Amino acid sequence: MTRIPITGIGVIAPGATGVEAFRAQLASGTTAVATVERFDTAGLSAHKAALVTGFKPRDFINPMKMRRMNALSRLGVAAAKLAIEDCGGTLDPATGVAIGTAFGPVQTSVEYMQEYVAKGAALAPPQLFAESVANAPGSHIAIEWGLRGFNITITQRESSTMAAAMLAATQLLKGAVSSALIGGVDEANEMLFSVLDRIGALAHANGAVDEAARPFDRRRNGIVLGEAGAVLVAGGGTRKPYGWLSGFGMTRDTTASISDWGSGHDTVVTAMRAAIDDAGLTLADIDAVYASANGSLRGDALEQRALESLFGERIPPVVATKGIFGEYAAGGALQLAAALLALDEQRLHASPGFEEGDLPVTRETREMALRHVLVNTLSAGGGVVCAVVSREGE
Amino acid sequence: MRKPDPTTRIAITGAGIICSIGRNKDEVWASIAESRAGIAELKAFPGETFPTDIAAEAVAELPISRREAKRLSRTDLLAIIAAKEALEQANGAPTERAIVSTGTSTGGLLEGEEYYFGRMTRGRRRAPASRVLQQPTSAPSDAVARVFNLGGGVISNATACASAGAAIGMAADFLRAGHADVALAGGSDALCRLTYSGFNVLQAVDPEPCSPFGAARKGITLGEGAGYLVLERWDDAVARGATILAELRGYGASCDAHHPTAPIEDGRGAEAAMRDALRESGVTTVDYVNAHGTGTLLNDSAETKAIIAAVGNGVPVSSSKSYFGHTLGASGAVEAVVTVLALQHQIAPPTLRLETAADDCPLDYIPHIPRPMAMEDVLSNTFGFGGSNVSLAFRRVQGL
Repeated sequence: MTRIPITGIGVIAPGATGVEAFRAQLASGTTAVATVERFDTAGLSAHKAALVTGFKPRDFINPMKMRRMNALSRLGVAAAKLAIEDCGGTLDPATGVAIGTAFGPVQTSVEYMQEYVAKGAALAPPQLFAESVANAPGSHIAIEWGLRGFNITITQRESSTMAAAMLAATQLLKGAVSSALIGGVDEANEMLFSVLDRIGALAHANGAVDEAARPFDRRRNGIVLGEAGAVLVAGGGTRKPYGWLSGFGMTRDTTASISDWGSGHDTVVTAMRAAIDDAGLTLADIDAVYASANGSLRGDALEQRALESLFGERIPPVVATKGIFGEYAAGGALQLAAALLALDEQRLHASPGFEEGDLPVTRETREMALRHVLVNTLSAGGGVVCAVVSREGE
Repeated sequence: MRKPDPTTRIAITGAGIICSIGRNKDEVWASIAESRAGIAELKAFPGETFPTDIAAEAVAELPISRREAKRLSRTDLLAIIAAKEALEQANGAPTERAIVSTGTSTGGLLEGEEYYFGRMTRGRRRAPASRVLQQPTSAPSDAVARVFNLGGGVISNATACASAGAAIGMAADFLRAGHADVALAGGSDALCRLTYSGFNVLQAVDPEPCSPFGAARKGITLGEGAGYLVLERWDDAVARGATILAELRGYGASCDAHHPTAPIEDGRGAEAAMRDALRESGVTTVDYVNAHGTGTLLNDSAETKAIIAAVGNGVPVSSSKSYFGHTLGASGAVEAVVTVLALQHQIAPPTLRLETAADDCPLDYIPHIPRPMAMEDVLSNTFGFGGSNVSLAFRRVQGL
C-alpha cells in the first residue's frame, strides 16, 4: 500500500452535520459565516464567525459519558461516530487515532482557572482538569470504540490536522496499524475571538468593505474564526474510497515570526513539490489546489506567490474553502474533507468571498475531471504541510 | 507515498537537557551519580495555597537576549536551552532540512494564566494579550525552529505526558521515510498553576518527594524541564563523521482505550507499546528499563505488570522521576536523554528514596545508588492521560 484510502468522513461543521449535508453545503457555494450570537462581541472590531449550530451531542453520545466531555471532545466523538458509520465496517481494535487541534481546549482551561480563583487551588473541579489536556478528544474516541493503536494529538495551528494526517500515514505505511482515524476539532469561543480581534487578525468592516471571509481577494483584511469536528477513516472500512492520501511534504518558512506568516514562498514551493514527488507525480498531474488561504494579508500573499512560482503560467483551478467555514475549522480537517469530496464527486467547489484577485480561484461549483488535488496548509509560525489526494488507489 | 524503510538505522548525534537536577547533561549526570534529587519547596507561585508544597523546579537562565525572550514562554525558553545543547553536540548536522518535533502538554499555559487573571480583574480590553499569545502548544516548536533557523518543518505533539515520547518515535519514522534529513525531537513543559492545582485536586500528588514503586508511595512530584535528541539516518551520520551517542532502535505506541486519566490496571496497553518497541528493535529482552514510574499507586503497579509480561521479571528497572519529578509533556524526552547517558556511562540510574518496595512492585528497582552494569539494549517508557503509551528502544554504540 503506497496510497491510503479514505473510506469514511464524519463532519460536524458550521451549517452541516454529516457528510451529505456537508456535501450539499459545499455544492451550494454559500458561506456559513454569520453574525455571532453565542457570545458578546460588543466593542470588538469583528462580529462574525462560522459557528456550529443545531448540533445536539445527545444524538451521538450517551448522556452519562457526555457529562465527562468538554465541547471539543463532544465534537470529536460525534464526528468519529459519523465517520465510522460512514465507512461501512467495523474498525480493527489496533486502529490508531491522530487528532489535530489548532488551540485545543482553551475554554476548558479558562473555566478551570475561573473555578480556581472562585474556590481556591485545592477545590477546582477535577473533571475540568481531566478535559484541559489537548488529547482529551482523541482519548474519548479511543475509549468509545476500543481503539488501541497509537493515539496522538497534534497542535500546529492551521496545519494541525494535516500534520496529524502525515504522521498517521507514516505509521500506516510502516504497518504499525492497519487503519487510523484522522481528524480535527476546534472550538470558537469568546476568549479566542477577542484575542484574535485584539491583535487585528480578524476580518472586519472598515468603511471600504463589509466584514467577510475573503481568501485570496485583494480586499481581504483578516481571517474569520470557524469551528468544527471532522474525522476521516483511513485504511479501514468497506465503502468505496472517497479518495486516497497519496503524498505529503513538510517544510518551515524560516522567515516567519512565531505567530505570523513569513515571506519565504520558496519554502512553500518546496513543501508542495515534496508532496507531489512523494505521490510519484509531476506538476502536470495536479488538476486543482485546495488552498490554505484564509483571508490573512500575509498568509494569502505567501501562498499566492508560492503557487505562481511553482506553476508559472499554468496554475490549476484554486479552491479556497475557508470562505465557507472559516479558519481553524477542525484544525484543517474540513479543507481536507472538501478536497476528498471533490474527487468523489468530480466537481470543484466554489470559493465564496473571492471576487477580486489574480489567481484562478473558483467562483462557482463546476463539474471537472479530477485525478489529483494538492491540499495546502500554511500555519502562522512558519509550518507548512502539503498533501496530494488522488481519485484512484494506484 | 514513501514508506518508512525498516532497515534505516537511526543515530542519536546530539542530546540536550534541563531539569531540576541540572542545566545540561554534565550537571544532570553529576546529580545522578551523586544520588542528588532536585525536589524542594515550591517557589514558583508565591501567595497561592495548594494542598502540597514541593516541586522539582528547573533553574533556567536565558539562552538568548532579554528582548527576544520577552516574547517567549518559560516552556519555550526551556526548550531552547535543551535544543541548543543538543544541536551544539551534533555540530555539523545539516539542519536546513531539520524538522522540530516537540512534545508539550501545557505549552505557554503559565503565561496564558496571567492573561486569564487579567481578564477576570481588568476585563478583556485591558488584559495583557501579549502573554496569551505565548500560550499555544505549537509555540515551543516554532520558537526553537526560529531561534536555530531550522527549515524542515514543525510538529507539535500535545498528547499529555506521552507527548515527547511520541514526538521522538514519530520523528524517527519521518527520517526513515525520507520526509526530513535531521530531526530535533524532544519535549518541554514548564510548571503552571493549572497543572499544579489539577494534579492536586485529582489527589495524585505525594506531599513528600515521590517514591516510585515504594510501599508508601502516594503520588507524583511535579517537575518541569526539557530534553531534545538530534536524530539522523545512521549512514548520513557516519558519512559526515559525526559522533554517535546511541541508536534509537524502536518505537512502540498504544492506547489503553480505558479511562481519561487512569491507566488500565493490568498494564496491557503499556505491555503492547513495549512489545512493539522490542519487535522493531529486533530483540526479545533488554538489559534495563527506564520506567515511567510516576509514584502513583495505579501507574507503578500497572507498569510493573507490563514490564514482567513484556520482558520478564529479571530486568533492572528504575524511575528517574525520583530525581526530577514528573516533567509532564517533556518527560519522554528528558528521560530519553537520561537513558542515553546511562548507556554511554554503562551506569543505570537508581530509584531514590525506595526504602521498601510495594507488594505489587516485585522487580529490581535499583534503589538509592547508581549501578554500574553492562547494557546493550534498553527501553524508556512514557505514558499519559488518555491511556496513551509510548516505549522507545535504545542500543548502546560500541567503542565509546
